[in-house]
Amino acid sequence: MVKKNKPWANVYLVIIFIVLYLPIMYLIFYSFNSGKYMHGFSGFSFKHYVELFNDARMIQIVFNTFVVALLSSLVATIIGTLGAIGIYDTKNPLVKNTILSMNNVLMVSPDVIIGASFLIFFTMLGIGLGFGSVLLSHIAFSIPIVVLMVLPKLNEMNKSLLDAANDLGANSWQVLTRVILPYITSGIFAGFFMAFTYSLDDFAVTFFVTGNGFSTLSVEIYSRARQGVSLEINALSALMFLISLLLVVGYFLISTAGERSKAKKKGASL
Amino acid sequence: MKKLIYAAVGILAVALLLWVGAQHFAHDQDAATGTDKSNRVLNLYNWGDYIDPTLITKFEKQTGYKVNYETFDSNEAMYTKVKQGGTSYDLTVPSDYMIQKMKKAKLLLPIDHSKLTTYKNINPRFLNQPFDRGNKYSVPYFWGTLGIVYNDKFIKASQVQHWDDLWKPEFKDDLMLIDSARDVLGFTLISQGKSVNDTNTADLQAAKGKLDALMPNVKAIVADEIKMYMVQEEAPLAVTYSGEASEMLTQNKHLHYVVPTEGSNLWFDNLVIPKTAKHLKAAYAFINFINEPKNAAQNAEYIGYSTPNTPAEALLPKAIRDDKQFYPAESTMKHLQVYQDLGQTKTEEYNDLFLEFKMTNR
Repeated sequence: MVKKNKPWANVYLVIIFIVLYLPIMYLIFYSFNSGKYMHGFSGFSFKHYVELFNDARMIQIVFNTFVVALLSSLVATIIGTLGAIGIYDTKNPLVKNTILSMNNVLMVSPDVIIGASFLIFFTMLGIGLGFGSVLLSHIAFSIPIVVLMVLPKLNEMNKSLLDAANDLGANSWQVLTRVILPYITSGIFAGFFMAFTYSLDDFAVTFFVTGNGFSTLSVEIYSRARQGVSLEINALSALMFLISLLLVVGYFLISTAGERSKAKKKGASL
Repeated sequence: MKKLIYAAVGILAVALLLWVGAQHFAHDQDAATGTDKSNRVLNLYNWGDYIDPTLITKFEKQTGYKVNYETFDSNEAMYTKVKQGGTSYDLTVPSDYMIQKMKKAKLLLPIDHSKLTTYKNINPRFLNQPFDRGNKYSVPYFWGTLGIVYNDKFIKASQVQHWDDLWKPEFKDDLMLIDSARDVLGFTLISQGKSVNDTNTADLQAAKGKLDALMPNVKAIVADEIKMYMVQEEAPLAVTYSGEASEMLTQNKHLHYVVPTEGSNLWFDNLVIPKTAKHLKAAYAFINFINEPKNAAQNAEYIGYSTPNTPAEALLPKAIRDDKQFYPAESTMKHLQVYQDLGQTKTEEYNDLFLEFKMTNR
């Protein structure tokens, strides 16, 4: 690629990042306010963090939220990946398109509708609302996302790879685990993380299916917002932002380290 | 493949760890309250941040019930979840008209008054309301009014004492309204000497006509943000609820709240026991607990709404108790009106008229 000097592009980028990050910084800044509100900074204090750590109910909700997000996106990734492979293998174009369209309908249909349907569905079946219902519905709405993330990777794959594997006598399990899955690994991870974030911040669906004392962050924060969000939420958001930042930096370091060692190996073998 | 399996195992491990953590915190809450895992629980479904959290801990310690506290953000959302019945709530807190609606839908259990030990503390003025005659199904929790908030930097108290004052030409582009058909049409009806429960189409049309004349003064029609805007002095004048107002007032000393003397809406949030309740003993224990004067006063001070509990009112700091803004004089109280469920068609008529008003050209 030819590298051109485009100052305007950089300015544009900087502005975009300011717009994206400024609200977060503003929020974090006020989490250290010794006052009670998001205006009039009255002094530096950690009291909202202390308040947060003393709020056992809040911490429990945070943990619950992450458990649901991790489990639901894991299960959805497994089901979604297999589904994507199934769609990829479907030979009849009509069937294939129908399945794909049904998948897309789930992607674009509004969350409230999905949430209300789940509520009616669960109560009809007599399933008690709570951890189970939230987990099931999160798995359900994450699957289409995973399918959409994995399918392009599959389509990108060279078909002759499969033919070669079959020619060399691989059975279908070996084709799946040694050829297909390694090839689409990045797509699977992308699908997992998309599903993870979807599950973390989903409000509309979750609201309908929580119950029996089980709640997630989005539902809790939303109903607290009626009285004005307390700075405890700011403190929590600041911590979550910090954790995701650390995760991204960690991932970056690991992946660049991996690349470097790969490059070294290549250099040695040459 | 290996990578994927490692990742999956890793994720499972983290999830397990977090789950253990969550259980630990749940257990912590149990330990703090000395409850066991038996049936001694209370499923409380309340508005977000609508009780002093220390009162929940106190209740748990005192009675040994563990409180599962869940929250909702609107009467309608609560109604849907209770109606679907997927989860059993022992107590919830609907507003007046919603109590009537839930009663009609047969979603409530009658209250056994012989089990209420602290019922006598409640000011009779707030009992026996049209939405629940004889308080067969509900016990008052908080009450409040609809009124006018103004900023004394820009507006003198004498300028806004009546609903009609809002129509003054000098307030051009100054007024913020709460986005609610019932409330806005309600105060217009009051200003015309009508009832807030008026269902006469001609009266409603007349009110709509008067409202249209208000449009030049209206800066915005907003929901909960009204609090933030008023505190930040985006507008000098607003129509909103007393509870919202009390929060604004603590954040900005220039704001004041007025309940017009000719009358206004009086609203209630009441404790009710839904049909799906499984822990009736706990529910009654809680109603009795929250109406003990000390607890009710502490709660009222925390929330900022007005308490219906007479001895609790006496326990409140003098500054709050004597605040005419939130505990209005008898002469004003006399004129306050309570909303009733209008039924589907009339509710739609109110909503349509309000929508038309919102679409008026300025």
